[in-house]
Amino acid sequence: MTYNALANVLDASRVLVLCGSGGVGKTTTSAALAVTAARRGRKVLVLTIDPAQRLLQALGLHGHGLAPNAPHEVLPKRAADLPADLAVTPGGSLHAMMLDAESGAIAMVERLLPDKALRSQVLGNRVYRAFLPALQASPDYIALELIASLAEAGHFDLVVLDTPPMHNALDFLHAGGTLSAFINERVLRWFAKVPQPGQKARLSLLSAGTSMAMAVLGKLFGHEALPDIAQFFASFQDVLPRLKERTQQTDRLLRSPATAFLVVTAPGETALREARHLHGVLRAHDMRVAGFIVNRVVQAPAVLRGEHDAATEALHHHLTHHGHGADRAHALAAALGAAARQLEFLASADEAHVAALEQLGGFGSLCTVVGQREQDIHTVAELAQLGGALLDGLRGHRTR
Amino acid sequence: MTLAAAPPDRVSSPDVVAGLLARSVLLVTGKGGVGKSTVAVALARLAASRGKRVLLVELESVSHAGPLFKRPVGAQPVDVAPRLTAVCLQTADSLRHFALQQLKVPALVNLALRNRSVEHFFQAMPAIKPILFLYHLWCLESIHGPHGDARWDLIVCDLPTTGFAIGMYEIPRTLSTVFRLGPIAGYADGMQKLLGDPRRTGLVLVALPEEMPLVETIELHAAMQRRFGVEAAAVVVNGMFPELVAPADLAELRAALDRPGTPDAATTAPANSDAALAAWRWAAEVVASRRQRATEALPRLRAVVGDRVLALPFLFRRDLPLDAIDGLAARLGGQDGEPR
Repeated sequence: MTYNALANVLDASRVLVLCGSGGVGKTTTSAALAVTAARRGRKVLVLTIDPAQRLLQALGLHGHGLAPNAPHEVLPKRAADLPADLAVTPGGSLHAMMLDAESGAIAMVERLLPDKALRSQVLGNRVYRAFLPALQASPDYIALELIASLAEAGHFDLVVLDTPPMHNALDFLHAGGTLSAFINERVLRWFAKVPQPGQKARLSLLSAGTSMAMAVLGKLFGHEALPDIAQFFASFQDVLPRLKERTQQTDRLLRSPATAFLVVTAPGETALREARHLHGVLRAHDMRVAGFIVNRVVQAPAVLRGEHDAATEALHHHLTHHGHGADRAHALAAALGAAARQLEFLASADEAHVAALEQLGGFGSLCTVVGQREQDIHTVAELAQLGGALLDGLRGHRTR
Repeated sequence: MTLAAAPPDRVSSPDVVAGLLARSVLLVTGKGGVGKSTVAVALARLAASRGKRVLLVELESVSHAGPLFKRPVGAQPVDVAPRLTAVCLQTADSLRHFALQQLKVPALVNLALRNRSVEHFFQAMPAIKPILFLYHLWCLESIHGPHGDARWDLIVCDLPTTGFAIGMYEIPRTLSTVFRLGPIAGYADGMQKLLGDPRRTGLVLVALPEEMPLVETIELHAAMQRRFGVEAAAVVVNGMFPELVAPADLAELRAALDRPGTPDAATTAPANSDAALAAWRWAAEVVASRRQRATEALPRLRAVVGDRVLALPFLFRRDLPLDAIDGLAARLGGQDGEPR
């Protein structure tokens, strides 16, 4: 039986996180791997946080007015779109979900605050409402909480997470702890002393230390805004233990052996530098990095690289055979030959980058390479084909 | 028939470029991997070469400017080239800067920020990064020298992602909703005036001539118009694949390569001919499809932003040292940087 390290990751993980700098094909790769895992018989959910609806486009779900933050069935619903050789193993399924940070934040508050009165207090809070649109800049908050609740619900065997384009890998890894750092006992204690809207300050009850803290907070935020901020934090008082528990769950899940990270990258010095950085950060945080996926590699056929002259002769021969005069055939072959040399140059630079990543990953790390596609992906069948290419592109692929 | 016989794509519109460099802040953004940093550095170099004092601002990333100029670029502005200063703003430093502006007393700032839970609280606040970044940028723009002149003629910001750019434009409104009075309400007003004034701030969108980056650029431009009434000052298309083979020749080659080798030819054809022909088909298809995407991209973007589209050529290399970026800057500036 053929052993494929990437297939093994798809078969054995409960959570698969794809990360990498922007523009390296994370979204498409996530969808392709999710389709492949579903075809192998798993119940898969793929979640994208990317504000552009590219994943849904690739899954053929774009522009149908689909609700965000809800799973939409892709397979077996669209299994008829797959050719027979890419059929889905019975039992396998794929759902896709698009995360919208703003409505996700509302849903999160609803999950956290079962009490209706308290909930409407938070949702109506001026501070909370003002920050909702701004959450678009940091959707990682919501994503991790959602992942944890999905993994917990157990409707899916595998959750594939396409991470947002991030300028700092730490943002995402820390997102679990971020919310509980923002809303923690200590912070609640500061604001607990601030009178809420409509209340009068009972200054006599304030200790000297608290008065000092109040003065600093007032200077930073302006005294006028403090009551609303205080109310926002006070609303979370009762759910703090739940919030902390949730955070710890998420954190445990990310570090557990059931979770695998794949670093997605593409050729180029900048992408390579960012992949190295990300790999180091993940390792330093005890995350299990399964390996690298290198997209958009220029893979010039070996014959152009090794036997350029013989290949040119073959082209010349073909052109004269099909009725071109010798001079014309020579000129055409020379023009295409010169263009191909430019592509060969890229191909050898890319090969060196892949080799560097393989070395960085070291023993037990997988590295799979796929070529630059000349056409964009539009269908589930094309995603399934790409998934196959990802399995086939595994370096050092061995059988046993 | 010669290689790249066609004139290079019209890469520059002198008026558009002069308009960009006349502003005091350029915000460069785009989908990941499109070459935002390259464009930001090229714009900064071009402005510096025209005698402007330029500050290049990066944000909490692995600094691109550092390796390029071969010196560490961190939270303190550092001169990296004549008339060019670079800084890589970190949230923690921007927070300290903000606290110092508010509390005035360094000892009080230390007291307030020494506490780890205070620090975590601020770092965890939603949208804190765009808030502090915008605040810091606003302060940098308003720094004036002893003679009342601006410290920098142009500040070029290499923004991390399109989501960040949208979040940043949202900030003044967010802040003025939460803080209706007091110092922050005043800052929100100042930031809004900076972002909303097209004579001071120019938004530069960077795109690639590929489907998804193009769609995203067009969507981003529409979102900026709809939500904030902001028009892109320019769209820079990076990586325009050149015309390596004249179109008629390429069509002729592809037609010939689509025809099979006959059994008769097989006897006289060089060894390994089939593999070679397949390889040439690959090369011809890559050259044709990439050139086609490049030529199709320009009209689509011009339909959205008119003549404010600038194009930069694809360079057949995976590293981009400073001299290569200077070549791109020269092209933006209207000179053909490379011999034909």
